Amino acid sequence: MNIPSLTFLDFQPVLPALLLAVGGIVLLLTEVFQSAATINRAYQSMVALAFSAVAGAVAAATTLEPAREVFLGFGVSDPFSGAVTVLVCVGLGLSVLVSAGFLRHRNAERGEFYALLLFAGAGMSLLAMSNEFITLFINLEVMSVSTYALSAWLRRGTRPSEAGFKYFILGAFSAAILVYGASLLYGATGTTKLSELAGLLPAAVASNPGLTYLGAGLVAVGLAFKVAAVPFHMWTPDVYEGAPTPVSALMSAGVKATAFASLVRVFLPFAQDLGPNHAQLMTYAFAALALLTMVVGNLMALPQRNVKRMLAYSSVAHAGYLLLGVAALFARPTGGEGPLAVTPLLAGAEGAARQQTLQAILFYLLAYTVTSLGSFGALAALERREDEPRGTAWDLEKFAGLSQRKPGWALAMAAMMLSLGGIPPTVGFMGKLFIFRAAVDAGLVWLAVAGVLASAAGVYYYLRVVVYMYMRPSQDGVTVPERQWTTELALVLSTAAVVLLGVAPGTLSAWLGKASVLFSQ
Amino acid sequence: MTPLAPYLPIAAVLGVAGVLAVAISAIATFLGPKRFDPVKFDTFECGNEPIGSARQRFAVKFYVVALLFIVFDVEAVFLYPWAVNFKALGWFGYMEMVVFAATVVVGLIYVWKKGALELES
Repeated sequence: MNIPSLTFLDFQPVLPALLLAVGGIVLLLTEVFQSAATINRAYQSMVALAFSAVAGAVAAATTLEPAREVFLGFGVSDPFSGAVTVLVCVGLGLSVLVSAGFLRHRNAERGEFYALLLFAGAGMSLLAMSNEFITLFINLEVMSVSTYALSAWLRRGTRPSEAGFKYFILGAFSAAILVYGASLLYGATGTTKLSELAGLLPAAVASNPGLTYLGAGLVAVGLAFKVAAVPFHMWTPDVYEGAPTPVSALMSAGVKATAFASLVRVFLPFAQDLGPNHAQLMTYAFAALALLTMVVGNLMALPQRNVKRMLAYSSVAHAGYLLLGVAALFARPTGGEGPLAVTPLLAGAEGAARQQTLQAILFYLLAYTVTSLGSFGALAALERREDEPRGTAWDLEKFAGLSQRKPGWALAMAAMMLSLGGIPPTVGFMGKLFIFRAAVDAGLVWLAVAGVLASAAGVYYYLRVVVYMYMRPSQDGVTVPERQWTTELALVLSTAAVVLLGVAPGTLSAWLGKASVLFSQ
Repeated sequence: MTPLAPYLPIAAVLGVAGVLAVAISAIATFLGPKRFDPVKFDTFECGNEPIGSARQRFAVKFYVVALLFIVFDVEAVFLYPWAVNFKALGWFGYMEMVVFAATVVVGLIYVWKKGALELES
């Protein structure tokens, strides 16, 4: 009998996730134990915010520790996972702030909502650390099941149930595909641990090529569903539209960020250990996915007059830019190895180049997290209750003349739109700069050019919102919901982050550079 | 296909099971006597006379009870291997199990206070 010896100290690396889970349990219990006579739920968002803040601070500390295996190699604790957890906690905190006002306005504020948000956050944090397929699957499900329930939170009406159902059915389907792929990889290599998989892959490819390729492909498809890459993006607009706006924000930021983290963690060994031919194959596969996602996402967003759907398609497009970064990560700029090797500058500095690319991906994830939360937050502040007929609740006309009615909200939304479009001086510009530079350094010049062209198309529909806010007269009889201080605080924070990080990204990008270390044998 | 070789007995058992299932129902269909009467065509209700239709709406509460049952069932499944290795796992294992059981109990308390266990209300 082989019984592993663990101690309580071994749980220290998962402290952020534990804190989030405990916060969720506290919220569940206080919700059912408070007396019905004096019901006041204002404390709930503050409790959720406090737990996210503490978890984020603890995770930030782990980015300074060296990378190591935890739980017998089922997970890893490395600066990268710490940085992703910090991103998740930033997203959680902003989402909680937006939710407080949003739910109060709809009389739908309950402890369970915040509890589900925190449970989803715990799943995300653990997913970023998962280094084994079964662990990865369980944490993916913890994250997904919470978001399925959250997307149908506003039960009245057909749209939330449509969103919940679509997300649940397609999410379950994609998770099944991922598990099937993992089982094929297990069949080919005899291990589910990613750290052991790396060493066994070359032999598996030699003896069982079909099994290995199919398994890897299915795992990639399962994760591509979660990041909403084209052609696995069909659910995105409907789900983001039907879900409560703060939840759409968290889905576009947190779920996507962690899915990208595990995409990198699972597939980097493939590119590293299978030789240059396979690295090239994977680079082209992910480059094709990135190209498709960028182009289709931006083109589909062009005709949307419904701002929430537009933001959903824009999140598809941003997944494309991130996939471009992932493709650049897999390209090996080592010189003399086929068409990818065009930068002799980086020859022999592969590790440094890889770290720089990871840094670009992390920076882009951070930029997208604050910008997406801010733009969905501005939408949540403006949006009236869902009793309006389909399509009108988030119509562009709602933004007409916003600069006169609510200059502060209009300014925040304008900053977010500029950042999503990648226009200086915003963080979105810096993110795009870093990620396109990484792609060019990796020899994917054509893809970077395609990305720049696609994002130029994106500027049209982002700026259209700004034009409506500042240059169109306000419609008669349009009312805006009352102000909620929590939502406005979220807007102030995200606008400040977008502008400050756009002007002076140095400190943060240096920190992310130190955090761009993945565990490796 | 050497890695799949150990699974050959399972494939054999599956094959035998399939053949047996088809054979038994085929033999019964071809050789069995066929005498029908109205009672035989009626719904089988464990020997009782059926009352009304079975196609009606059931309260969602029953599903909550079923879900809770599964949760505690799975908890029991996890308790068995722990109980077998109780001595080897020591106090750490004991505390682990306490935390695990406490989490499930917290869920039960939540469901209880929420009123999901009250079938009549």
